[in-house]
Amino acid sequence: MEQQVVKLTDAENQLADLLKAAGANDASNALSAHGLPHRRIEEYHYTDLRTLLRDVPSDLAQANDRLPDVQFEGYGRIVIVNGKLVHADEIGGVEIKSADAAAKSVGNDQIINLMDGLAQNQIEITINTSLDKPIHIAHVHDGPDSVVADKVRVTTAEGVHATIVETFEGANARGLRFANFALDVAADAEMLHVQLDQNAEGARQFVQNTYDLHENANLRTLASHANFKLGRTDIKADFKGEGAHADFAGLTLLMDQQHGDFTLNVNHGVPNTTSTETFKSIVRDRAKAIFQGKIIVAPDAQKTDAQMMSQGLLLSERAEVLVKPELEIFADDVLCAHGATCGELDEDALFYLMSRGIKRAEAESMLIRAFLAELFDEMENEQVRDKLGDRVDAWLAAAE
Amino acid sequence: MTTPILEIKNLHVKVEEEDKKILKGVDLTLPAGEVHAIMGRNGSGKSTLSYVLAGKEGYEVTEGEILFMGKDLLEMEADERAAAGLFLAFQYPIEIPGVATMTFLKAALNAQRKTRGEEELKVPEFMKLVKDAANQLEIKQDMLKRPLNVGFSGGEKKRAEILQMALMQPSLCVLDETDSGLDIDALKIVSDGVNHLRDANRSMLVITHYQRLLNYIVPDRVHVFSDGRVVESGDRELALELEKKGYAEFDGTAA
Ligand SMILES: Nc1ncnc2c1ncn2[C@@H]1O[C@H](COP(=O)(O)OP(=O)(O)OP(=O)(O)O)[C@@H](O)[C@H]1O
Ligand SMILES: [Mg+2]
Repeated sequence: MEQQVVKLTDAENQLADLLKAAGANDASNALSAHGLPHRRIEEYHYTDLRTLLRDVPSDLAQANDRLPDVQFEGYGRIVIVNGKLVHADEIGGVEIKSADAAAKSVGNDQIINLMDGLAQNQIEITINTSLDKPIHIAHVHDGPDSVVADKVRVTTAEGVHATIVETFEGANARGLRFANFALDVAADAEMLHVQLDQNAEGARQFVQNTYDLHENANLRTLASHANFKLGRTDIKADFKGEGAHADFAGLTLLMDQQHGDFTLNVNHGVPNTTSTETFKSIVRDRAKAIFQGKIIVAPDAQKTDAQMMSQGLLLSERAEVLVKPELEIFADDVLCAHGATCGELDEDALFYLMSRGIKRAEAESMLIRAFLAELFDEMENEQVRDKLGDRVDAWLAAAE
Repeated sequence: MTTPILEIKNLHVKVEEEDKKILKGVDLTLPAGEVHAIMGRNGSGKSTLSYVLAGKEGYEVTEGEILFMGKDLLEMEADERAAAGLFLAFQYPIEIPGVATMTFLKAALNAQRKTRGEEELKVPEFMKLVKDAANQLEIKQDMLKRPLNVGFSGGEKKRAEILQMALMQPSLCVLDETDSGLDIDALKIVSDGVNHLRDANRSMLVITHYQRLLNYIVPDRVHVFSDGRVVESGDRELALELEKKGYAEFDGTAA
């Protein structure tokens, strides 16, 4: 029997009760024993959930079949509302089914335990052939005062090329959403995985993305935190086959007192694998953006090349970007680097643009777009680029 | 008499939030259609004067005034000054990664037009304007596709400044050491570009260290600048004299 070491907050008690009601007794006990992750737990140092997550809804979201607002022209659409698969287009070469969520294992991370423990269904997607149409997985959270847990597992056949775009909508600042996504990129497969935060109101949202990369697999990812009140995207990647390459990217746009956390763990476990990590944050007001990036190179993972970069743009004096890059390198013949920059808009550049007749607000948005250009340039999918662009525009407009 | 394009009266400027005084009583009148040259030692305040004219922040005017076509220039934001017809060709043009030169040119031209209450340029019209102006300055099209000034050579940056000036058709051109960094051929091309813009309704203030530029862009008057003021003015012969005798003759301080 685990010993209770902390006095639980109401929120913690409520979440433990929810876990119990969902049949996840072990996770419930673990949460009761340890409480939510707090600042003394290294991975949550900057995201102290004991203080940030004080009030949580008491119920899981009820089944519902509200259709998503976010649309992509010509994509194969899969709709998950309140954790349940409610619609799946017929997509040639793709099997989609909903199963009972698999066995609920318990680990050290109480947020991951919550994700696993609360998910009732597991949406399983098998991609057997290359797709000319991207797949759109729309996550809808309907019902403001509730907790929702979505779980998606994607497997691919060798050599397939496909794009998965996930959108999150409907969540708000009173609710709580968990989403767990796993993608197995088979040998020689080439995948693009995009997650767009399309929540209209500042949401509270915890996401975990797990990627396995096999021989010569190629993966590009982009996740966005565009309107989180409180959110964290936890990315775990495991290189399991030689010759694999992955590009991980993240975009954070926060304002007011929003708090967004990207935590990345990339494990280069075998030789000859390469990765890039590019995370950009723009914050204003009193918002806080966090990037923790850890790259691990196993002892025999020679010829690993990992290039991590995080850049922050501070638009207000009290906004913060907190960055913690870590390299744990156990092999000797590797190329790994990380760089971090953080600054304000360049006054000289602003003056130059204004001296040519461009108004300050427009000059600022030109420079902000320029700061993000790299993320957009790398994104070949036009509809995704447009959606991201709209999001940036809306964010900029909200400031004026 | 018509209103001068520019009148600077007893202008005193210091660095904001510091004690450093840079301009110490500049007086200068630039009538319409004239080209005036400013020559002066390094650090005498020439670029500061050009920045204050263009509306850069970080400087405080403690005394004096600037009239631009009769209006109080210091009341206007930098972008309003540009729309009203003031153009500064920077001594050190700023590199702006992520903003394509063409995108920038279009944004700038249309922003000025909008401020003046004019219609936006149509795309073909804009393309033609840029193409013609670029040809005249022997600027290659692929340079325009690159991010603004990024990786441009020193000479390319200066040409790009003059290209902008040609497109914007300002009433007042302030050229801050546009000749530095230009090779002999480029100097000729850029000077031709500038001369092409000489007009009865347009004035120019040409800051330079070299009298050679003034063989190409022949000034109506030359002002010697020292320690934040104009200490001597004359016709173009003054530039030759200055080159012969050095600054000490004029400002009484040894080099
Ligand atoms: N923002 C500032 N803060 C402090 N000192 C400044 C600032 N701007 C200019 N100065 C100083 O004011 C003086 C005038 O500088 P300015 O650039 O105007 O000279 P200049 O005449 O253009 O020189 P050059 O011929 O070398 O281009 C210099 O001593 C410079 O260091
Ligand atoms: Mg200068």
